[in-house]
Amino acid sequence: MKLYRINALLLKYYYININRIDRIFDIFYWATIDLFVWGFASFYIEQLSDVNVLSILLGGIILWIFVWRSSQDIAVFVLEDFWSRNLYHMFSSPIKTSEHMASVILMGFFRSLATFAFLIIVAFLFYSFNIFIIPVFLLGLSVFLLSMFGWIMGLLVTSFIMRFGQRIQVLAWSVVWVIQPFSCVFYPLSALPAWAAKVAVLMPTTHVFEAMRAAFAGNPVNYTSLWHSLIISVVLFIIMAVFLESSIKKARKTGLLAKGD
Amino acid sequence: MNYIDVSNLVKTFREKGRIIKAVDNISFSVRKGEIFGLLGPNGAGKSTTINILTGLLEKDSGTVRILGCEPEKNWEFVKNSSNVATAYSWLSDVLTVKQNLRVYAKLYGVKSHEQRINELLELFELKNVADRRIIRLSSGENTRAVLCKGLINKPRVLFLDECTVGLDPDIADKTRDIIKDYQKKNDCTILFTSHYMYEVEELCDRIAFMSNGKIMSIDTSSNLKKLIKKHTVEIAVKKNIKLLKDFLKTEGVEIIFEKGSSIVFEVTTEGDKMYKVISKIFHKGFMLSNLHVKGPTLDDIFIKIARGK
Repeated sequence: MKLYRINALLLKYYYININRIDRIFDIFYWATIDLFVWGFASFYIEQLSDVNVLSILLGGIILWIFVWRSSQDIAVFVLEDFWSRNLYHMFSSPIKTSEHMASVILMGFFRSLATFAFLIIVAFLFYSFNIFIIPVFLLGLSVFLLSMFGWIMGLLVTSFIMRFGQRIQVLAWSVVWVIQPFSCVFYPLSALPAWAAKVAVLMPTTHVFEAMRAAFAGNPVNYTSLWHSLIISVVLFIIMAVFLESSIKKARKTGLLAKGD
Repeated sequence: MNYIDVSNLVKTFREKGRIIKAVDNISFSVRKGEIFGLLGPNGAGKSTTINILTGLLEKDSGTVRILGCEPEKNWEFVKNSSNVATAYSWLSDVLTVKQNLRVYAKLYGVKSHEQRINELLELFELKNVADRRIIRLSSGENTRAVLCKGLINKPRVLFLDECTVGLDPDIADKTRDIIKDYQKKNDCTILFTSHYMYEVEELCDRIAFMSNGKIMSIDTSSNLKKLIKKHTVEIAVKKNIKLLKDFLKTEGVEIIFEKGSSIVFEVTTEGDKMYKVISKIFHKGFMLSNLHVKGPTLDDIFIKIARGK
């Protein structure tokens, strides 16, 4: 891996961000809408019960950003080259898959951090919600685990795009929402029916949100499950990286990179 | 020394259960500092060959060597020493010309890249649109921006796939001059495809004619033209056009057009037949008002090969 080539692509994604207002807008818009909808809903529910719904829902929304942004940005920045018929030049350049992926992962992470920073300010100003109730170490580990899961999903979608082309691009926006119900973002694992719980327990994201709720409630955090999640995430990440490499190899075989469709 | 070596290259695609041989066991070499043209009708396999050489397509079998190395094994060296320009693929359309060139300069590890970018923008007369987004450019400006990218790293091997498509005649002419000049100054090896025969004739030292994935022949343009023995003769007489026509028929030449006092016929150069027919016309005392002899062009070769004659 060469740092100067990663920098070159980061520069490209930076230009895309500053040249397209929708890309800047994208960082703040949906996340803010979500925050307000769930924030007001939480206020209402709290009037009806004693449960600390606000922390659970807003904490979930704010941390979910790392899964959402990371996954979507990886796929969308790769799709950008399809849309602008630039795939040919990009893949005939000296860039390697690992450098390409490192740059989209980094750009996705920077954009997630921008959304995260914006949301914690808005949540504090409007709902006096402070995410830093969660211990810094746990918060850092959660952000890393959630981002990593987003990268895994992003690599999966990118691999499919490399195999099947733009016709499956809708996955770039939709795949994380399929995962969300099984990630226990807004409810505990115990709230799921047995069959769904079996799926949820395998998701690294579930353990992060369980830990977050424990921290908000002042209960002990199950670090063992978080470390297990980390191991699962690393294994999944390696599998996805290998899958992506084989998908690009397949794209070189089928001619998708040359045709760019 | 050969800078490009292709040996027994094969590439097939599957389409609706059928296997299509896009490149069918081709071999050729391009010497250092040579401009080598790949010519052929649509679907002949020219772009597929370039796509394999640039690493965008994986070959089925055969060997490829660029600058003496197998690209798969010396990815970085080969990629940093070569580049490609094609009219059929854009730079990132969200970025401006200058932003794109900056990104590619960094990708290719170009030192003093701002200076190099300014040189290229000047050379291709793109200074006035340097800060314009690719999507706002005309197709000619777009093609020139792609050419700037193709030369950004001062490549030792350059692949140009129909890179002058969409350029007006003036800019196309200037572009050819730039390519020739760059090749001369840098002793660069260029693999060039085009549909414009005069362009190939003007630029290329040698030409390979491709058809149905195969190379039909490789030679210089003047030698290739010798493959067609027939010349076209246009003749106009002041009187006795009917007599001339009868005479030509007795000589067994093929009249392909006649109008008024003019006749156009094809005659072979084999056995000096063309010279004999023309001298007989003079000896018979026909009063000529026009005589024009046209040798075969690369277009004729192209058509002959494309139609499988």
